[in-house]
Amino acid sequence: MIGENSMTKQKKSRFKAQEERLGYLLIAPAFLLIAVVILYPVVYNIWLSFHKVSLNPKRPDIFIAFENYTALLSDPKFWDSLQVTLIYTVITVAGATLVGLGAALLLNKAFKGRALARTVILLPYVAPVISLVFVWQYMFNPVYGIVNVTLVDKLGWLGERVDWLDSATPALILVIIFDIWRLFPFSFMMILAKIQSIDTSLYEAAEMDGAGGWRKFWHITLPELQFVIGSLVILRFIWNFYKFDEIYLLTKQVPVVSVYAYETAFTTFDHGLAAAITATLFVLVMVFVLTAVRKVLKW
Amino acid sequence: MVTNNRVLNRAILYTLVTLTVVTTIFPFLVMLGTALKTNEEALSVSAGLWPKQITLEHFRDVLDPEKFPYWTYFKNSFITSYVTALLAVVIGTMGAYSFARLEYPGRGAFQKGVMLIYMFSGVLLLVPLYQMVTAAGLYDTKLALIITYLVITMPVSLYMLGNYFRTIPESLEEASMIDGLNRFQVIYKIVLPLSMPAIATVFIYVFMIAWNEYLFASVLITSEENMTLPIGLSRLFYTKHYVWGRMMAASLLTAIPVVLMFALVERYFRGGLTDGGEKG
Repeated sequence: MIGENSMTKQKKSRFKAQEERLGYLLIAPAFLLIAVVILYPVVYNIWLSFHKVSLNPKRPDIFIAFENYTALLSDPKFWDSLQVTLIYTVITVAGATLVGLGAALLLNKAFKGRALARTVILLPYVAPVISLVFVWQYMFNPVYGIVNVTLVDKLGWLGERVDWLDSATPALILVIIFDIWRLFPFSFMMILAKIQSIDTSLYEAAEMDGAGGWRKFWHITLPELQFVIGSLVILRFIWNFYKFDEIYLLTKQVPVVSVYAYETAFTTFDHGLAAAITATLFVLVMVFVLTAVRKVLKW
Repeated sequence: MVTNNRVLNRAILYTLVTLTVVTTIFPFLVMLGTALKTNEEALSVSAGLWPKQITLEHFRDVLDPEKFPYWTYFKNSFITSYVTALLAVVIGTMGAYSFARLEYPGRGAFQKGVMLIYMFSGVLLLVPLYQMVTAAGLYDTKLALIITYLVITMPVSLYMLGNYFRTIPESLEEASMIDGLNRFQVIYKIVLPLSMPAIATVFIYVFMIAWNEYLFASVLITSEENMTLPIGLSRLFYTKHYVWGRMMAASLLTAIPVVLMFALVERYFRGGLTDGGEKG
C-alpha cells in the first residue's frame, strides 16, 4: 500500500495532471453537445437576424443589416405581443409561486393520506401538455363545457356564455389559469422540500418566546424560503417569457412573443425576421438574467 | 374549548386539503369520465362527470391501427425518449463526475455556464436549430429530436447526478484507488452501483421531458411515420371533428406511462433537485 507520504512530488504532479486530463475528457461530450445545440445556434441566430434568409438552402442568404430589426420595431404586432407576454408572465409567475407556497404550507401539516396527497398533486406537472390541453378545451367549450354550464346555467355568476377559446380576453384568462394549475406543483415540490429541511429547534425556540403561527411563518419560515422562492420566480419568469406549447395548443387568440416568432418562421416563412424576434428576446432575457440573477441568486 | 378549537382546525385543514387535491385532479377525472362516455353523452349539457353507461369503444378505436396510428406515434415516442434518456445517463454521469470529483482549471466557469444555458432554450433556438438540422440532412429524423432533448435536459441531469455523487464519501473512492483501482474503475465499480436511485431518476426525468415535448417535434418532424405522440395527436385532432371520447382516451394512454414512471422515482426527484441526496 502506498501512503500519502511516500508519494514523490513528481508522482503527485503526474497524478494531478492525469486527473485534470480526465476531468476535461469526461465533461467533453456534454460540453460539445451544448456548444453545438445551444451556443452555436444562439450566435447563428444573431447572424441570421441580419439576413434575408433564403428558403432554398442552396441559395445564399442576403445581408440586409438592420432591416429585420427596423421592420420588427415598427410592427405594432410585436409591441402588442410583448405586452401580452409581460401580462401573462407576471400573473402566472406570481400565481404559480403563491399557490405553490400555500399548498406546501398546507401539505406540511400532519394529516391522514398526506403522502398520497403530495404525490397526486404533482399530476399536472408530470402529464404531457397535449393530454391536458384537450381536456381543458373540452371543459372550457363555450356550448357544453362544464365551466360555462356551471358558471352560467347552474350558479348564474356569469350573465352569458363566455367564448373562452376564441376571444382575446377570456382566452388570456384561460391560458393564465391553465399555466398556474399546471406549474404550481413544481413550486410546491421545491418549497416543500425546503420547508422540511428547516431546523425544527428554531420553531421550538420561537414558541418558548410565545410566538404564534403567523409570527413563526413571517420570521422563520419565510426568510428560510427566500432563496428557493427567489430562484423559482426568476427561472419561472424566464421560462414563461418563452412559453409556447400550451398557449399555442390551447388557443390561437393569445399572441405572445413566442407564438409571434413561431408563426413568422413557420407560417409566413420569414426566418430572418423570426431570428430578429428571438434575438431581441435573447437580449431582453440576458439583461434580466444579468441583473436579477446576480442580485437574488448571488452568482 | 381547546378541543373544540382543535376539531375546528382539523375540519378547516381537511377542507382545504380536499379543495386543493380536487382542483388539481379534477381535469383528470373529466378526462377519464369523458373517455368512457358515448359521443352523445359527451356533447350533452346536462351530463354528469361520470358516464351513465360506460363504453370502451374509444379505447378500442384509439388502439386499432386501422383507425388510428396511436401505436406508430407510441413507438416513435418510446424510441426517442428511451434513447435520449440512455444517452443522458451516460453523458450526464461522466460530466457530473467530472464536476463533482475532479479538479481542473475552468471547472467552476463550466458549471455556471451549464446552468446559464438552461435559460436559453425553447423558442430562442427554433430558427437556428431548424436551419442547422436541415443543412445537416437530419430534418424529419428521430436523431434530430434525440440530440435536442439530450441537450435541453443536460443541465438538470448534470445537476442531479452531481449532487448525488457529492453525497458519496470521498474517502471510499480514495481507499479504492489506493487499493489499485483507477478512476474509471472507481466510477464503474463504486460510484455507479451506489448511485442507482439518482441514475433512475435522471433517466425517468429525461424520458418524461422527451415524451412530453411539443415545440421542437412540431418543427423538426414532418412525416406521419416519424411523429411522436404530442404532434401526432395535435395534428389528428386539429381538424375540429370533435370525438371527445377518443381524444380523452388517447390523452390518457399518452399520460399514463410517464405518470407511472414518475411515481416510482418521485421522492428521489424531490431530493435530487434540492440540497442533494434524498431524504426519503
